[in-house]
Formats: sequence, C-alpha cells, structure tokens
Amino acid sequence: MADSTVVLRPPLIDGHKTFAQVTSDVCRGMEGKPTPLWWASFLTAFAVLMVGAAAVGYLVTTGIGTWGANRTVGWAFDITNFVFWIGIGHAGTLISAVLYLLRQRWRTSVNRAAEAMTLFAVMCAGLFPVIHLGRPWMAYWIFPYPNTRGPLWVNFRSPLVWDAFAISTYFTISLVFWYVGLIPDLATVRDRAKEGLKKKLSGLFSLGWNGSTRTWSRYEVVYLLLAGLATPLVLSVHTIVSWDFATSVIPGWHTTIFPPYFVAGAIFSGLAMVLTLMLVARKTMRLEEYITIRHVEVMCKLIIATSGMVGLAYATEFVTALYSGNPYEQFAFLNRAFGPWGWAYGIMVSCNVVIPQLLWSKRIRTNIAIVFVISIFVNIGMWFERFVIIVTSLHRDYLPSSWADYRPTPIEIAILAGTFGLFFTCFLLFCRFLPVIAMAEVKGVLNEGREPAHGHGHAQAAGKRAGLPARSSAMEGARG
Amino acid sequence: MRSYSVTLLLASGLVVSLLLLANSLGDVRIPGNQLGYSPVQPIAFSHRLHAGELQIRCLYCHFGAEQSRHAGIPAASVCMNCHRFVTATLGAMRAEEEAAKKENRKPRRVISPEIQKIYDALALDGNLQRDPKNNLTPIAWTKIHNLPDFVYFDHRPHVAVGVTCQQCHGAVETMDRVAQAQPLSMGWCVNCHRTATQTGIAGKAVHASIDCARCHY
Amino acid sequence: MDEKETKRYWKSLDERKPDHAFPQDEFREEFGVPAMQLDRRGFLKAAGFTAAVAAIAGCSRAPVQKAIPYLIQPEELVAGKSYYYATTCAACSAGCGVLVKTRDGRPVKLEGNPQHPVSRGGLCAVGQASLLGLYDSQRLTGPLSGGKPASWEEADGAILSRLTEIRAKGGAVRFLSGTVTSPALRAQLGQFLGQFKDARHVMYDALSSSAILDAQEQTHGVRALPHYDFSKAEVLASFDADFLGAWIAPVEFAAGYRAGRAAEATPPRFSSHAQIESRMSLTGTKADRRMLVAPGEMGLALSHLAARIARLSGAVFDGAGMAASPVPEKVLEELAARLWSARGRSLVVSGSQEVAAQVLVNFINQQLGNYGATVDLEKPSSQKMGSDRALGALLGELKAGKVAALFLHGVNPVYELPHGAALAEALKRVPLLVNLSERVDETSGLAHFICPDRHFLESWNDAEATAGVVSLSQPAIHPLGNTRAALESLAAWSGKPQAAYEILRASWRERIFPRQKKAAAFDAFWDQSVHDGFAEVGARAEKSKPFRKEAVRAVINADVPASGMFALNLYPKVSMREGRHAHNPWLQELPDPVSKVAWDNYACVAPGAAARLGLSEGDVVRLEANASAVELPVLVQPGQQEGTIAVALGYGRQGTERFVQVGPKWLFGKKTGGADGRVGKNAAPLLRFSGGQLQYAGQEVRLTRLEQKSPLACTQSHHTLTMPKSLPIVGNERREIVRETTLSALLNSRKAAGEKGVAAPAAVLDLWPKDHPTPNHQWGMAIDLTACTGCSACVVACQAENNIPVVGKDEVLRHREMHWMRIDRYYSGEGEDEVSVVHQPMLCQQCANAPCETVCPVLATVHSDEGLNQQVYNRCIGTRYCANNCPYKTRRFNWFDYVREDHLANLALNPDVTVRSRGIMEKCTFCVQRIQEGKSEAKRQGAALVDGDVQTACQQSCPSQAIVFGDLNDAQSRVSKAMKNSRNYRVLGEFNFRPSIGYLVVARNRAEGGEDKGNG
Repeated sequence: MADSTVVLRPPLIDGHKTFAQVTSDVCRGMEGKPTPLWWASFLTAFAVLMVGAAAVGYLVTTGIGTWGANRTVGWAFDITNFVFWIGIGHAGTLISAVLYLLRQRWRTSVNRAAEAMTLFAVMCAGLFPVIHLGRPWMAYWIFPYPNTRGPLWVNFRSPLVWDAFAISTYFTISLVFWYVGLIPDLATVRDRAKEGLKKKLSGLFSLGWNGSTRTWSRYEVVYLLLAGLATPLVLSVHTIVSWDFATSVIPGWHTTIFPPYFVAGAIFSGLAMVLTLMLVARKTMRLEEYITIRHVEVMCKLIIATSGMVGLAYATEFVTALYSGNPYEQFAFLNRAFGPWGWAYGIMVSCNVVIPQLLWSKRIRTNIAIVFVISIFVNIGMWFERFVIIVTSLHRDYLPSSWADYRPTPIEIAILAGTFGLFFTCFLLFCRFLPVIAMAEVKGVLNEGREPAHGHGHAQAAGKRAGLPARSSAMEGARG
Repeated sequence: MRSYSVTLLLASGLVVSLLLLANSLGDVRIPGNQLGYSPVQPIAFSHRLHAGELQIRCLYCHFGAEQSRHAGIPAASVCMNCHRFVTATLGAMRAEEEAAKKENRKPRRVISPEIQKIYDALALDGNLQRDPKNNLTPIAWTKIHNLPDFVYFDHRPHVAVGVTCQQCHGAVETMDRVAQAQPLSMGWCVNCHRTATQTGIAGKAVHASIDCARCHY
Repeated sequence: MDEKETKRYWKSLDERKPDHAFPQDEFREEFGVPAMQLDRRGFLKAAGFTAAVAAIAGCSRAPVQKAIPYLIQPEELVAGKSYYYATTCAACSAGCGVLVKTRDGRPVKLEGNPQHPVSRGGLCAVGQASLLGLYDSQRLTGPLSGGKPASWEEADGAILSRLTEIRAKGGAVRFLSGTVTSPALRAQLGQFLGQFKDARHVMYDALSSSAILDAQEQTHGVRALPHYDFSKAEVLASFDADFLGAWIAPVEFAAGYRAGRAAEATPPRFSSHAQIESRMSLTGTKADRRMLVAPGEMGLALSHLAARIARLSGAVFDGAGMAASPVPEKVLEELAARLWSARGRSLVVSGSQEVAAQVLVNFINQQLGNYGATVDLEKPSSQKMGSDRALGALLGELKAGKVAALFLHGVNPVYELPHGAALAEALKRVPLLVNLSERVDETSGLAHFICPDRHFLESWNDAEATAGVVSLSQPAIHPLGNTRAALESLAAWSGKPQAAYEILRASWRERIFPRQKKAAAFDAFWDQSVHDGFAEVGARAEKSKPFRKEAVRAVINADVPASGMFALNLYPKVSMREGRHAHNPWLQELPDPVSKVAWDNYACVAPGAAARLGLSEGDVVRLEANASAVELPVLVQPGQQEGTIAVALGYGRQGTERFVQVGPKWLFGKKTGGADGRVGKNAAPLLRFSGGQLQYAGQEVRLTRLEQKSPLACTQSHHTLTMPKSLPIVGNERREIVRETTLSALLNSRKAAGEKGVAAPAAVLDLWPKDHPTPNHQWGMAIDLTACTGCSACVVACQAENNIPVVGKDEVLRHREMHWMRIDRYYSGEGEDEVSVVHQPMLCQQCANAPCETVCPVLATVHSDEGLNQQVYNRCIGTRYCANNCPYKTRRFNWFDYVREDHLANLALNPDVTVRSRGIMEKCTFCVQRIQEGKSEAKRQGAALVDGDVQTACQQSCPSQAIVFGDLNDAQSRVSKAMKNSRNYRVLGEFNFRPSIGYLVVARNRAEGGEDKGNG
C-alpha cells in the first residue's frame, strides 16, 4: 500500500478514507445537535442580517437621500457592493464548472461549498440593483413586457438592461447546477435519515435517486452539459457588469480594458472568499482530511495568478490614461492615485497586488493562519477596488464646478453589513442542513477501489453501507 | 366563546363590506381603465337632448376647447342663456299655455325639477330674480374623462386640426348620461397620433408628435 | 377598509363629508379588545377575513373627481388659460415693470415687462421671488391691536380717537417709511399729515444712498438722486458701487451696462469699466480693471482722481497735503486720461456714504461734462429718497420722547439700524405706535396697532421711480386675508375713507394726466396706462443751480484701521439686500453669485489675511465694532482687499426660524438655521452713524478667532478651472470650460477674418449623422458670457417656473441642491490683486448625442424630434445612471419627498409643470411647457411659430439679455445668428456630445491682446 501511494499521485484526500468514512464524516455536521460555535456564529450573522434589513426598510420608506450619494456621486456603496458580491460569486462557478471541464479532480472537496457561496453571493448582489432605485417598486419596468403604453419597451442599449438579464441567468444556472450536483448526496442523506421531515424533504429533492448505473450515467451527462453551460457565464456575467462603466463617458469608467480586468478581479476575489470560508469550515467542521493543505496551496497559486492579472490591469489602465493624451482621462487617474481618495487606492493596490505576492513562498502558502489573513485582505482590497473605480471617477469629472466629495451614511454601512449577515446566515444554514462536501464526487477521487488487493469488495460493502454503489466504474465511463 | 365573538365580528365586517360592494356595483371601475364610466351627475343633464335633438354645437357650451387646454364645463350662467326662457319641457309649457288659455289667465311659469336645480344654484327666486336670502351654490359635476396628473392634454391643437369631439368622447349626442367611450390609455393616444401623422386628419396632413414631452412635462 | 375614504384623501380635491360612518374606525375599536388575547386559530381567522374584506373593498369604486365650474362666467376668462397683467414690482424701490402671469385667478409667475422704460424686460432674483412672498403664510391676515387680532373698525376707531387727542394737544406726529416712489401715496401722506400742527414724513433707506443726495444738494442745490445712464458711458469708473449687484436699481443699470458693451454692434461699442473697491463685488467680477482699496481710502483715491481731472480740465482743485494715492499713480493717470478722452461719454459713480467723497464724484462728473449726458439731474431718479440726517433727527426726538405718534411703513428700524435695542426701548415710550408692516417683525412687534399693508400683487398703486415714468400697480389676485392698502389706511385716518382704486384714479386725473399730451380723454389715458403698466409723462423740471465749486474739498488722508484691526465693509447680498425678503426660501437658497454660499452670511476675509491668521473656511470668528459683536463663520474671498472684512447684511431676521422646517426630515438630517434657529446673523449692529450718514464701510473692527466651526453651504467646492496643484498634468493644468478673450484680440481676429465674420468651424465627423432628425424645430440656446453678470435672476426664475423644491442648508451641504440652472463661478488670475471672475450659467445642454439617453434602462430620458432631451418623470425609476453619465452634471435627483406642507405657498406652483415625487430624476427641459404652449397657440391661430414666441423663463428674466433661445432650423432666428457668432463655442465640444447650447466667449476691454490670462 505504501509503495502504491508512491507510484500513484499523492492522494487528494488524506487519511485513507473508506467510502463509509467519507459519508459519515461529511454527514456528521448535519446529524446531531449543532455545536455552540455554530449557534454563536449563526445568531451573530442573523442579527447583522436583521440590522441590514431594518436599514433597507428605512431606505425604501424614506428615500435614497438616506445614503451619502449626491448630485455628483450618484452611485457609491450600492453599486460597489453589487459588483463586489457578483465578483465573489464567480469563483464558485469557476471551480465547479471550469475546473470540472479541466478535469481538476482536487475541486471535488471544495466545489459544493463554492457553488453554495456563488448562490448566496448572487443573492446579496441581486439585492442592490433593486434597492438602489429611487422607486424600487417600479423595478419590474426594467424587463420588457407587453403593456398598454403604446407599447413602450425598455432601452436595449442600456447596460442596466443587459445586467438584469445577465444576473437572472447567472442565478438560475448556478442554482440548477448546484442542485443537480446535490442529488446523489441528497439520496445519501435520505437513506441515512430516520423517519421525519428530513427524510421526506431529502426524499422529495433527491428525485427518487437509485444508485443504478443508468442513473449515474444520465447524471454525469447532465452535469457535464450544465458545466459546459455555466462556463461561459464565468466570463460573460462580469463582462456585462463591467460594461455598466465601460460604456459610459466618465473618465476612469470609459475604458476598454474593463471586461477582462473585471473578470480577473472577480475570480480573484471569489477565490479569496472561497479560501476564507474553506479555512473556517475545515477547522470548525473538522474536515482537515478533505480540505487538505494541498487544496489550500492550489487555491493560493490561483490567487497569485489572478492577483497578477489584476495588477497588470491596474498598471495598464494607468499607462493607457497617461499615454492617451486626454487630459480628463489623465486627471481621473492621477486623482485616483493621489487625490482625496488616494488612501483608498493605496488599500486597493496593497491588498490586491502587494500582499498576495507573499504566497510565492511555500512556507506561507502552507501556513493556514497567514493564508487566512491574506485571503481576508484580498476581500477587503477587492471591495475597495470597486469603490475606487466608482467613486473616484465620479467625484471629480468634467466640470470643476460640480466636483464633490462623498461620505457614506450609517444606513449605507448597515446595508453593507447586512449583506454579509445574509451571506453568512445562508452559508451557515447550508453547512447545517446540506452536505458541505460533495460526497459522491469525493468518493470518486479516493484511492479506495483503485487498489486491486482488497479495495473493491470493501468498496462494495462500504457502498452498501453508505447506501451508495461504488461509482468508480460509472465515473470512468463518464470520463472515458 | 371569545373566538366565537371574534368570528361573529369579522363575519359581520365581511357582510357589511359585501353590502358596500353591492351598492357601489353601479359604477364599478377597475382603476386604470375607466372605460364606460358613467357616474350619476348632480343634474340629469341630457346631451342627447341638447346636442342631439336641439343640435346645439359642442363648442357653444364647451367653448374652452377652442382656446384653452381644458374644454371646460359651462357655467350656470351659460345655461341661463336659454333656460331664462326655457323653464321646462316643451310639452309641459304647451300644456300650461293650453290650460291658461282655457281658463283665460296668464300662464303660470312651470319649472321642471332638474332645471330648478340651476336656479337654486344661482339662488334665483320664483320669477328668476336673484334672491338675496339664498347664496350661490356651485354645481359639483363628477369628472368623467380623467387623465393621470403627469399627463398634459391640450384640447386646442386637436380642435384646431379638426379632430371631432366624438373621436375621443364617443357619440355624446346620443347619450342621456355621458359615459367614457374610449380607454384614454397612453397606447390609445399614441396609436392615434401615429396613424394621424400617416393618414392626416380630415384630408389635411398633420404632424401629431409622439414625443414624450408632447404630453409629459 | 373603505377605499373611498383613503383614496379621496389622496386623489380628489374637494373635501366632501363622508356619506356613511362605516370606515375603519369601527373595526379598529372593536378589534382592539379581543385582538389582545387572540389565539392562533383566532388570528388566522382574523387574517383570513381581513384579506377577504380587503379584497372586496379593493375592487369597489375608484376615486371620484369633481369638476366645479363657475356659476357666472367671468368675461374673457377661460379656465386653464394664462393671462398676463402689467404691474410694477415693489420688492425694492427701483420700480421695475413686471407682467404677472395669472392662472385661474392666481399669480403663478412674474416676468419683466419688455416695454417698461426702467427695467426693459429684465427682472432680478428678488423680484422673481417676491411672488412667493405673496403666498407667505406668515403674512398678517388682518389688523392687530396690542398684538391681538382686531377688526378694522376697532383699529381705526382707536387710532382716530388717539389722533384727535394728539391733534388737540398739538403733539408731534411722525411717519417713518422707506423711499416712497408713489405720487398718490405721497399725496395721501401729505393730506394725512396736514391735519396736524407738528407732523413730518421721514424717509430712510436701509441701504442708504443719502450721501449722494446730500452731495447733489451741496453742489447743485437739488437734493435728488441723479439718474445714471450706463448705456451712454464709454468709460466707467465705479468706486465701491455695486451697480450690477444690489446698488439702487441693478436691473436698470445692468440693462444699460449691457447696452454699452456690444462687441457685435457696428461699430463695436464696448465700455471700459474700472472698479475700485475693497471687496469682490458682483460688479467687480465684470470689471475690465479692478483696483483694491481699503474702504477708508475711497475718498483719498477720489481726490487723487479729481486732482488729475482738474489738471486736465484746467479747473482749480486744492489737493494740498494729500497723502499718497492708494491706487498706483500710473493706473490713476491712465484712468484719468481715459475719462478725459471720453468727456460727456463717461461716468463716475460711488457707493460711498461720505458726503465729501460724493461731492468729489460730482466734481469729477461736472469736469467731465457728464451732467446732462450720463448723469441726469433734470429728470432725477426717486429710487432712493431717504435722508439719514432726517432719520438721525427723528431718532433724537424718539430718544427724547418728543414723538406723540409714530407711523411706520415698509421699514424695520429696530432690525436695520445700529443700536436697535435702544431704539426699541425708545419706541416703547411712544404713546401711539402704528405699523403698516405686512408681518410681525422686530419693529412691528412693538406697535400698538399693526395695520397690514397689502402685497403689491393684491393692490392698486403707482410709482414714479424715475422722473417722467409713472408705473401702475394693479391687483392680480383677490386679497388673501383682510388686509388694507396703505393708501386706504391713510385715507381712513384722514377722515375720508376711500377705495385705493378711487384714490389712485383721482390722483392720476389730478397729477399725472395733466403732465402728458398724447391722450385727450382721461379714461383713454388711464386704460392705456393700466394696459401698459406705465405712462411716460413730462417730468416736473427740477431746476438745478450751477455747480458750487466751494463745496468741493479734497479728502487729504485716508482713515486706516489701527494695526491688528480690520476695516469693515457691510454689503447687501444680491439675494438678501437689506433683509426685507429674508422670509423667502427661494432667496435664502439662492447661492451668492460670488461666494456660491447659500443659507448664511459670513465674514469674507482676504486670502492673505486668512493665511496670516490661520483661518480657513468655516472657522467661526467674533467681529467687534462700535460696542457690539457678531459671531460669524469665515469665508476666504479671493480678490478682497487685505485689510478688509466684508459681511452681508439682511440675515438673522426674526421669523427665519421657520426654515428649521424647510429640509427633508430623516434620521441623520440636520436642521437649517443657527443656534438661535435663525438663518445667519444680523450685522446691522456693526453699522454706525457718522457725518450724519449711515456708514456701511470703513468702521474699525476687531477680529478674534473662536475655537468652533460652522460649515458653509457652498454649492461649488472647486473654484477655478485649474487642476489642483497636487495633481499636475503637464500642459493641461487648465480646462477650457470658459474661454476668455480681450476686445482688442477679438477685433483683430475679426479684421483678420474679414467683415463677414469667422467661417463656421469645420463639421465634426459623426458616426450617426442622421441619428436625430429634427424636421420641424430644433431648439437651441446661446448664452453670452460677456453679457452675463451672474446676477442669478435666471436661477430664481427657473425655480419659480419649474416648481423646483427648496431643500434647506443640510441638503445643500450634501451637494443635493435642486436648481436646474446654476451659475458656475470660476476665479482666475495669479496674485491676489488681479483676481478676475467668470460666470457661466450651466443648465442641461440638451445634447444631440446625449450620454444620459443611452444608459437609461427604461427610456425615461429620450430625444425628441425637436432636439430636446426629454425627461419623463412618470417613467423614471431612479437608477441615477443618467446623472452619473452627464458630463455637465446638470441632472437633479429627488432624494426625498421634499417638504410641500405649506398649502398657501403651494399656490405659487406652476400648474403647467408636474411636481416631481421622490426617487426620480429631473433637469432643465428648455421650459418645454412654454414650447408646447407656444406651439398650441400657433396651431390654434393657424400661424407659424415666429422667433421670440417661445421664451424660456431664464431668458425672459435676464436683465442683460445674455440668454437667447429659439429655433436653430430657422436661419433668421436670433439664436441661429448667435450660433454663427465668431465668439460662439460649445462646452466640452471636443467630445461631440453636440450640445444645443452655445456659449459666447467672455470678452474684456483689456489692454493685453493675449487670448486670455489663463484661468488659474
């Protein structure tokens, strides 16, 4: 066995898990009483969510005036948060779809959580396009529908309309993708659950899954197709979001580099967020053997890569501006870096470009604590990136007479916090009630069953116990 | 017991509101589309009689339509142009004259109850003189053709290019009580403007703008 | 439950009594009790039933709207039609002619009367705003006796009985008023005061010019204010006279000034204007040459000029022992030479209240032969008639308790004069104190009787602002409340009560009619005058005596404040003047044209001094002068004389506490108004009497810094076109938003280009040449930056026309002012002394390639086929994307539902413009309601629209006709011509937004031929 491990690649999952162990390890979190730690964090998150909800209520009843925006800076926290959360979402899709197509089998232990994160992030993001409206109750006007006004359609030239479509599509696909991935695990849950609501629900949602080979092969096909469908979204969604700015005439927004720049940024921030969550989850839910140092390292490498792209984008747009000979463009960027909001620009550069460079060193990459801190920094930096792009471009544009500053109000801050509350509330509920790790897929990457000696029979047994057939054959079939 | 009383209370509430609905069924309108809205007016003025049989031009009473954005509802003084003399239906007045001739006496003035309302509004006494005791009481007609507050409709250009009143208000001259004959929705306006620009009105070429700011400002 | 109740509240106008008493209350009561102990099932049941009921009630009837026509149709009045009546503005004593736009019996807008000889079509910000004064809910609605409402009979009875006593005793009766330009009122006053042995009418102006009148008396033997004609003045020197801002008759003067500066005329007429002043006045911003002189040095400067003029004219002038000139010799020489070269076509004016200085001005004008040319004493102006001497005398009498009865009209001495408190005490001792004030204020609060006069839009009156031009006021609305015209009150107190109309007619028949030749019959003359709003008649010839040389005495030295002290300059703001209109929210929110600060007055400190004292904007300082102190925030004012502190009068009025309510109320919103709730601080206590004149400038003031801040609501945060020094963009430090040139450069370029003017700029390449065809009209605007004085009349006109809300200080501080039209002000010029200023009216540019249009998701802003950039309020969902994408930042967002609780004030709303609700975008529409009105009218009459039929509100009110609006498709329209003008350029034209507004370059009559001095 030892030599076998030598000839084979190092395992993705430590601790020589058997299928049964995987099942029980993963389901442990869902069965039995929630830990005090869970309760504590859940209640905190929920409290914050409530604060945010109250703030939103006040906003809707009183008016956008409760924000710090003004005649010059029309967007600030609202759209910043929107872009930020959309960005967060991207890593999920990347990991689950793109890495799947790229046969990156290490993804299996993180994809489930990452996909969930995508959903919740898009939920948070989707909130802002609605509440930032002066008349949110008219939000549905942004969709084209037959009406008695002549008829009066929407302005298909407006990026905001594209946004509406992009985001709704993105949310739907992500949801379906996530759910389909869940089906086999839900079956497991169903089979393990005692009589009761849990059994009923998991039964309902596992769509009567029976681990037959045919089911498996169909499942694999659907999953593959969905992955193919989701992949372009990774690029399209944030591209479209970036057009909100790129198609405008405001110096600092009107930039052709934005689509790739935004996509890179999105993935960058998303990975950071995944990392943050993973590190928390693996500690609190004792999943060290599934989310191994190796996973952390791989993620860190991705972060370095995307951080590089982002850094390049920063440099490029600056050089372009200075080279452009357009005084307004030049001023916008000088003002961004050295103007009143220079400090924000500083945070953005240091958090997104400088700090991630530490991850070149293996010693840091493998130090969970430091990696965690860095991932937090990246999250902060990416939020500031969006803030810098939006506010510093607006607050000093063409006519010096209408230059203005911007100061957020407590309401805005509460709403920002509230979205984090929403995000973590959802995520904690997810940890509590659904398998955080895609058991079925993880089992597929175990060395178990690849060892001719005794693995197979064992696997069968384990499979039975786990209410799951060994799927290696099916997997191979799907992959071949 | 308590829940029973609550039930009773709520039930009665339901009944009452049902009754309410019933009595208001006469003029139910779904807000937005008030097509066919035809409320009871303070005076049972008949357009059929005046505009139809008697052939009085619309603009005689609604003279505002030519000069102002509002067509306007005529002042009681305008009614008095005729009703100083016409105090009741022709039949009634004839009958009285007949009777008077028989009893060879001066015919008494017969006043129909609806027309009396005009006199009351103007505080006129029996022989149509201002009665200082009573005071003037304006007549509050119920508005039928309502547009939202953010729409500015202007009668002038429509009358000027020869859009007939009936085109938007329906065959008023056949209505005893006026009812809204067209939806008056934005689509309805815009489509008419479109066609008008293509086909012209009454043979004349017109430019019926469909700019938003034609009506919204 | 009952839809009718709730819906009627929202929708229909008439408050009918509810026809049955069912509504929700019944439910609420009975519900309350059991609801306390509802169990789950009960609750569900309740919910179910309620839902059912709601559903049923929901589909019951929709709102009922009532239409209530006239009972008796008034002649020539059609509902929904606007009618214009000519009358005379009484917001100040300048007597501008206005046309009142009335709609269904209420005035909704004031416009300048183009025919009026005094104002020539313009109307200033204050005049525009006085409409709102009419609907001021704090105006008295009836007489007060001892502070309690009384009937006119009671009030008159009491007053008359007291008067008879006084007459018997032969007590002194005094009538204290502002300048009374009305011949009828003067006559009525004469009649009233004639009843008493010892009676006098004392006039004073809170913004006094009485030094000028006294000086005229000394030099020409006539105590009158000469009528200045700026249009004839080719060389113009103003010593601290802010004649474009708030001095005497700004509208009239602006019109004249503009007439004298027509670069396009052939031959070009372009006056050369030198401004010698101690603070940055609005007039100073337009000057070709500006010299900074301390207030105390004004007389000395004048003496030096007089000496030079005398030398040129060969007259004797004893300048022995004169201190060195505060103005550089060279400059003075040059100025004198210019003036001399333009003998009879030049003009020297001074705002000084020193009689000696004014005498020097007269001397100079005399030597230059300006009398009879630009300075008219034969047909003098009566826009200022106040006499500070007479006032001083009266104050003496009051202190001594010699006055038995004091009547006040149109003045507020307790507030306006120094030592107000002492005066108040003196007033309390007057046996009979009657005030004709329209509201309870600092002074009228003390009165035994307040007999409120009517607003000028409610009453008949007349005014002879300049000799020979008698203007009429006619009522445009039925009086709001039981007030009474001053004419009638005086008639009543003279024992023969009469209606104002009768009095006025009689007065005209007697006084005005005989002075004219045209009309034979009085009635015809009267009708014509009522129609026109004025009549031009012969002026009663005020024969002035020959010039008295002996009156002239040189001011040989300046009085400069002791070291460490400053010289104070108390000035009237364009919007607030003496404070009479401090209750007007439109004026309070109007940013000062120079400082751009609204809702406050402040201590203007020169940058040098500020640096020396380490003061920055918003630091609160205490100013101490003649034993009184005022605490004000600092404003660092470029172009102000080093040793001067300038403070605006007219603030801190009693009653401005009302503005605590003005802004939107929300969690973190701050209230408008200072600690005492009032707006600004009253600087009048710092005034002083000296030489028998009320002195606004020159008094010594001590400035001490307090350790507190008070933010100033400034609508502009960056004040130049130069980029901040910290962010140098080599070669692009300055943005070409406003372009400047000099007359010489302009004329040279013209000559170079030949007579036909500069060829039109090469057509810009456009991706979508036919994107927005404009078959019928293409509306466009041209704004002449040379003519624009920044007076801000257009801003208020726009606010009045377009129902623009007032948002209060806090919102302005948050950069959320709602004005559709703003006037950008940029300082330029290195060094403190030659700071020059440009004003740029900025409004929606109605771009053909409008950035806002492409980004709106719901098509709420789209292009019309008349070249308008339309904003559709009811379609807007408020993404604010359009505002972000607007390069000119002229879009305004409704951040809140703005306060419109004052129902009376709401009567001033323009019924032709939607009142915007919360959460939607708005902006300048080129007054589309006027365009549509014009088109409808044209269509009705079957005529084509002609140039000038449609005027935007801003264009209409502009005193210097800087704004031209019209159809660019019509090659002959004034605007098309202006667009072809060689001075025409587009702001940010290089981006090809294709704005519909062209700006005409600022031209200054300066020596240096350079294109401009580089703003910065």
